Amino acid sequence: MSKPTFEQFLKQQLPRQQDQDQLPEPRKDLWQGIEKAINLPAAEPRSASPWVKLAGVAACISAGLLSWQVIMTQPQQDTMANMSAFFEQRKQMLLVQYETQPALTQDWQVPLQELEEAEQAIKLALTKDPDNAALLKMLAQVYQQQLDLITKVHQPQWQQI
Amino acid sequence: MIINAKEAFNQDTIEALVQRAQQGEQAAFEQLYQQCYRRVYGLCLRLLADQAHAEDATQEVFVQLWHNIAQFQGQSKFTTWLHSVTSNVAISYLRKQKNWLQKVVSLEDSGMEQAEIAQCESLNGLDKLVLRLPERARLVFVLHAVEGYRHEEVAGMLNMAVGSSKSQFHRARKLLQEWYDNE
Repeated sequence: MSKPTFEQFLKQQLPRQQDQDQLPEPRKDLWQGIEKAINLPAAEPRSASPWVKLAGVAACISAGLLSWQVIMTQPQQDTMANMSAFFEQRKQMLLVQYETQPALTQDWQVPLQELEEAEQAIKLALTKDPDNAALLKMLAQVYQQQLDLITKVHQPQWQQI
Repeated sequence: MIINAKEAFNQDTIEALVQRAQQGEQAAFEQLYQQCYRRVYGLCLRLLADQAHAEDATQEVFVQLWHNIAQFQGQSKFTTWLHSVTSNVAISYLRKQKNWLQKVVSLEDSGMEQAEIAQCESLNGLDKLVLRLPERARLVFVLHAVEGYRHEEVAGMLNMAVGSSKSQFHRARKLLQEWYDNE
């Protein structure tokens, strides 16, 4: 039997995309996390000390200045250095923001350290091939994963059981 | 006119569960989740092309749904409303993820790697191709061809010109055809 043409394939597949047997399954049970989140009491506004607020404002201003600087130099090249500097600012801002908030687990530093090791390995590869788009993208993803991790462990509503 | 009995039954079940969930019955909401999570996860995965992000976004959809289910007035089918909520949550999730990266790195976002796609056993033939599409082409293709939104609506949702939506759709089709023909 010959392979259907692309048009026939689309015509056959598209109407079936909402069928239960055509839909992908998540890798884990998501309900427990949802249940936990919807049963959390509404978050009360936390009263941070003036120093924490001041540190947050300072971090925001410096991040703003840095991003302005990055944007101004953008026409030349998006370099690893620019990306790293911007990421460090973001990371520090998050750490300041969550300084007074307990983390969900005590061992969250372990995956963070693994991500930092991955970051170093990619940076090393980039020193040999600084314009490699795939490496730059990988570095950006590792940075993003670090930010996600810091955010997630400090936001109980997304805790997975 | 042929009536799909199974679908009609499911629809009735869903509408009854929605009404109970609107009255704050969490058990009914859990059943609603069981009825609908694959639809929501499927759409999130098609839009985000990342299993972990799709799982997070699916949870976000259901948490938002619980808090906002009273806003569903029943003028449209619940599943239509659910798809609309899911699309909006997934798109804003994508924006949140990309926010700082896009300011710093001007790299074209590619789709899911073929090796990763091969590990997703529950994907159908079309999804295996769609998930490889670059981001903008993928978003437009899923919203227009799979979800049935008009290009004007897609353009509004993705904050792009109508012409861009159309050109991304043609780009998606061209890539899909190329990959399909070479399979």
